[in-house]
Amino acid sequence: MAKALDGIRVIDMTVWFQGPVAAQYLGDFGAEVIKLERPQGGDQARGVRSIKSLEIGDWNQYFLVINRNKKSMAVDLKKPGGKEIVYRLVAESDVFLSNLAPSMLDAWGLSYDELKAIKPDLIYATNTGYGRFGEINRPSFDMTVQAITGIMARLGEPGQPPIYLGMGSGDAYGGIMSALGIVLALLQRKRTGKGQRLDASLYGAQLFLAAPMLQAYLAGDQSAALQSSRKQVANPLWNLYPTRGKWVFVCEPNEDARFAALCRALDAPQLGADARFASAAERARHNEALIELIEAATQRHDDAALMAAFTREGIVASPVNNLADVVRDEQAWRNAYFMKAYCEEVQREVDVRGLPVTLSKTPGEIQTLGPQLGQDTELLMMDLLGYEWEQIEALKAQGAIL
Amino acid sequence: MSRPLDDLVVLDLSRLFCTSLCAAFLADFGARVIRLELEPAAPREAEGWNHEADLIHRNKQSLALDLGSEQGRTLLHQLLAKTDAFVTDCSVAELAALGIDYEGACKLRADIVYGRLSGFGPVGPDKDLPAIDELAAARTGMMPILPQPGQPPVYTGAGAMHAGTMLAFGVVTALFHRAVSGEGQAVDVSLFGANMYGAALDIQAFLAIGKGDRLLNPISRLDVSNPMSGSLYKASDGRWVTLTMPDTDRWWPTFSKVTGLNQADPRFDTHDKRTESHRLDLIHALEAAFAQHDGAHWRRIFVEHELSADIIERFDHPANDPQTLANRYVIELEHPSLGRVKSLGFPIYMSEGTARLDRLAPCAGQHGSAVLRDLLGCSEDQVQAWRSAGVLG
Repeated sequence: MAKALDGIRVIDMTVWFQGPVAAQYLGDFGAEVIKLERPQGGDQARGVRSIKSLEIGDWNQYFLVINRNKKSMAVDLKKPGGKEIVYRLVAESDVFLSNLAPSMLDAWGLSYDELKAIKPDLIYATNTGYGRFGEINRPSFDMTVQAITGIMARLGEPGQPPIYLGMGSGDAYGGIMSALGIVLALLQRKRTGKGQRLDASLYGAQLFLAAPMLQAYLAGDQSAALQSSRKQVANPLWNLYPTRGKWVFVCEPNEDARFAALCRALDAPQLGADARFASAAERARHNEALIELIEAATQRHDDAALMAAFTREGIVASPVNNLADVVRDEQAWRNAYFMKAYCEEVQREVDVRGLPVTLSKTPGEIQTLGPQLGQDTELLMMDLLGYEWEQIEALKAQGAIL
Repeated sequence: MSRPLDDLVVLDLSRLFCTSLCAAFLADFGARVIRLELEPAAPREAEGWNHEADLIHRNKQSLALDLGSEQGRTLLHQLLAKTDAFVTDCSVAELAALGIDYEGACKLRADIVYGRLSGFGPVGPDKDLPAIDELAAARTGMMPILPQPGQPPVYTGAGAMHAGTMLAFGVVTALFHRAVSGEGQAVDVSLFGANMYGAALDIQAFLAIGKGDRLLNPISRLDVSNPMSGSLYKASDGRWVTLTMPDTDRWWPTFSKVTGLNQADPRFDTHDKRTESHRLDLIHALEAAFAQHDGAHWRRIFVEHELSADIIERFDHPANDPQTLANRYVIELEHPSLGRVKSLGFPIYMSEGTARLDRLAPCAGQHGSAVLRDLLGCSEDQVQAWRSAGVLG
């Protein structure tokens, strides 16, 4: 079946998470992604052995899933012969993507100006930590960037430590943002014939991720920056409630009919009769008291019984599931958000994160999981770059390739 | 300067913040985005700034059609025939009733790129559940493990933004394919799928490992897996410090010095000791060390020694950070009545096609005559007649 990005060749010189995710999206939709790695160990993510102190098992799911559908070339850029290989590869490519420090790329002769001289319509994409302009030039990781955006500080109950949005959460978002920038540039090149450079930084993406709250703050709402308690939300009908089992998230507007239905579902007629809660305005005024009383009612039930009552009364709500629930969630499998993929490393099918963007006529696909370091170096040098076998042997002897 | 989406017409029929912002993003990068007003517009507040509208509807044109009327629906269909990409978060039933579900839209415009954001995805038993991010986040499995032990689950809101950006990616990718092949298609993303991708590593770990209390229950910050990565410590003034130095060997010589620990301490002199056998000892040592100085001190130290660490900031930081203005992540704009105000800017820099702010959010129906004239060739008399008949707002 045709793929949306058929015929697009991407040099993926990225490590760890954000950059590889960006290239993964392009590869899922048919771009030929060539991961360019150093011969000494390659991408550092190949070395991940545990997650949250848990052994990752017999396959490295951190590396193999986000580097799926990619080829790998192992080339030493510090060797003159190595640099020549990369330049010849650039001449044959549409996109160069890197999340290494711009100063490092410049030092290796991989600046935009140098690569543009080789391939004038190249799309040169970087993932800096803090943006292309300005003074900050420090190492950046997901959480250190999340820390300065203000996202973490406003989450959690008042007085609690700030909340990290999840391992790799900001990187995953930075990755799709970078992929979005690249397809924008590809579309523009299709129309104008021109390439360009672009940057999607972790900081820029994460600030955009905070849009609803950050925009309110910029407009003068100081409270948008601060932690707020679930015991004080303005609409008690849209809130988290504990049960004897899982928590439940109730999502209803503050309207009389919805409140009446909730009282029926909770078997709490006294709430419905209480004058303090007789109108939307009254419920908002007495929100803390109402939250306490709803909570007292929800705690009498387990989540399954409560959800059954909610369904009966048409109350929109969900149990707050855990990861053991989501990996069994039929909806996730039916939509290919989870998929089976063959893992060469362990010679069996494994369960992986699938395709969150569904294109009806050019769907994404997982053909292979992440490549072995340098597995495609020789083949690409011969077929794509026109090297002779003797030259390859000589470069190998120099240590320019693995 | 040209922009990537110049000359493309996008029709925006959205209710959610994230979908509307997705359409604004396409407008920021050059598309002519026509917002179709679903409900009668709320009167603009006399005072204050409608900061939300001026973000999620910036650079758009607005058209208010009475879709209850025959003529209104006819105009909608004629407009859809001129549309390159459609962006919506309405339910399939609502769209079908208007004759513009994907099948209907294809009849009007065979090569349309049809982008839809749903709650739980285009197929499966829950495909018709409402598009509410809280419901999707609750299903994703992450909410219970984000806080400290004993605390309520945490809803972050990030999934919705992730979904909106995925929708923009899918639509632009499909537009690229159309430019190559002439073929349009449906693009689907969901709040559920996006929440799962935000939870990338935890979910993938659980998929692969299939067990683990540390993936099912919150982990105390004083029990963090790597004392030097993903950890939080409190400075003397109550501000929080965070570290991301997963490869501890690389950082230990400098890091131990600046925190006043003994580099050669036999409990901490290898990566394995720091992250396994003496992990808890190191956490407690660092907890004590960071409490010695205030946040400003630690920030100075981190910058001076180029450590991968920072202070947890509030929104005042990005609001005033020269870096956000230099990169236009935050922009200053001239508001007609409020003067100079700050607003969220653009997350991507492009040298040949970068985003810009051409105008603030339109009033509902502001561009009715311009849109109908430009795209459908309607005369001003016709437009006036529809306006008097209430077809056009």
